[in-house]
Amino acid sequence: MTFHSLIKKLLNKPDSSRNVAKKRLQFALVYDKLEVRDDMLEDLQQDLVEVITRYFEIDRDALSLDIQRMEGSSALILNTPILAAKHQKEGGARAHA
Amino acid sequence: MDGKIIVVTSGKGGVGKTTVTASVGAALAKQGKRVAVLDMDIGLRNLDVVMGLENRIVFNVVDVIQGRCKLRQAALKDRRIDNLYLIPASQSDEKSVIKPQNMTWLCNKLRREYDFALLDCPAGIEQGFKNAIEAADEAIVVCTPEVSSVRDADRVIGLLYARSITPRLIVNRIVPQLVEKGDMLSHVDVVDVLSIDLLGLVEMDDAVVVSSNTGNPLVQQKDSRAGMAFNRIAMRLDGHPDLPVEDPMAGRSFWQKVGKKLGRKNRTAKR
Repeated sequence: MTFHSLIKKLLNKPDSSRNVAKKRLQFALVYDKLEVRDDMLEDLQQDLVEVITRYFEIDRDALSLDIQRMEGSSALILNTPILAAKHQKEGGARAHA
Repeated sequence: MDGKIIVVTSGKGGVGKTTVTASVGAALAKQGKRVAVLDMDIGLRNLDVVMGLENRIVFNVVDVIQGRCKLRQAALKDRRIDNLYLIPASQSDEKSVIKPQNMTWLCNKLRREYDFALLDCPAGIEQGFKNAIEAADEAIVVCTPEVSSVRDADRVIGLLYARSITPRLIVNRIVPQLVEKGDMLSHVDVVDVLSIDLLGLVEMDDAVVVSSNTGNPLVQQKDSRAGMAFNRIAMRLDGHPDLPVEDPMAGRSFWQKVGKKLGRKNRTAKR
């Protein structure tokens, strides 16, 4: 708790409704813009799997892709168990000269 | 003539789009421009009654688009303000009778005939909204200092940007006393949240209700603060883009009040 907010608490002075409105709006607008259509998330997951499998053997069914919303920010979280790293000459891994 | 098509929109209903369209249109005409105001709310027409022209409607915008009459035949001339014309909406059709390509055709005709055409957009972001913004050159987004209205304005602003239109904002129904008490968003707050250029501020004003009750143009009433605000907005749209936006909170700050109580002239505003 900052000194300022401590003083505010001690004085028991609530934030003005104007400031509350502004803060809520700022948050709501960010949140609104983060809303993602389900089909877009599915497309992204497919593309990501394609890239990752060039380098790793993964368990496709255990892969999860989610958007986690936190106060003030949002994160795209990809979680996948790795079965094995692919060696350079194998499969679709990029060929090195 | 190579006129400008300006769409007046908001997302949320009841924030004053129709009043803005009627008043800014009237103010531009008073400045000597040839102005058409169009009601694009097909099926729920209102601009005519707000402007006091409801008894004279013969043709409407759908008639023009479907070729039942000429544009000039549908344009009702306002007898109180020279160069102001209303093209009303149809009351019996649905929004889907107008297609986006019809709007491109109509707006091209309007550009040839008028200096400014203001399109009063229906609430919402569906077909009626899409039609209204289809061929617009500029956009005015109207919002009131309330969370619901600001949020909807943000959505509409995003949709306008997606069509390469950079809208400007009118904050309507500001109550300076409430802002000062800390119980209403100020225009600065709203502009902050929406990050968009401010075209004007309109204070809450009883004269707006009186004007729509009687159908008399608000901008003709000299003592109306809202009417004056609309006149200044029209100046910003035409020839005076840098006319400063007056701050309704000016002269209301604590120190200025103390200064007044002490009988001194206001010095530099401490804010």
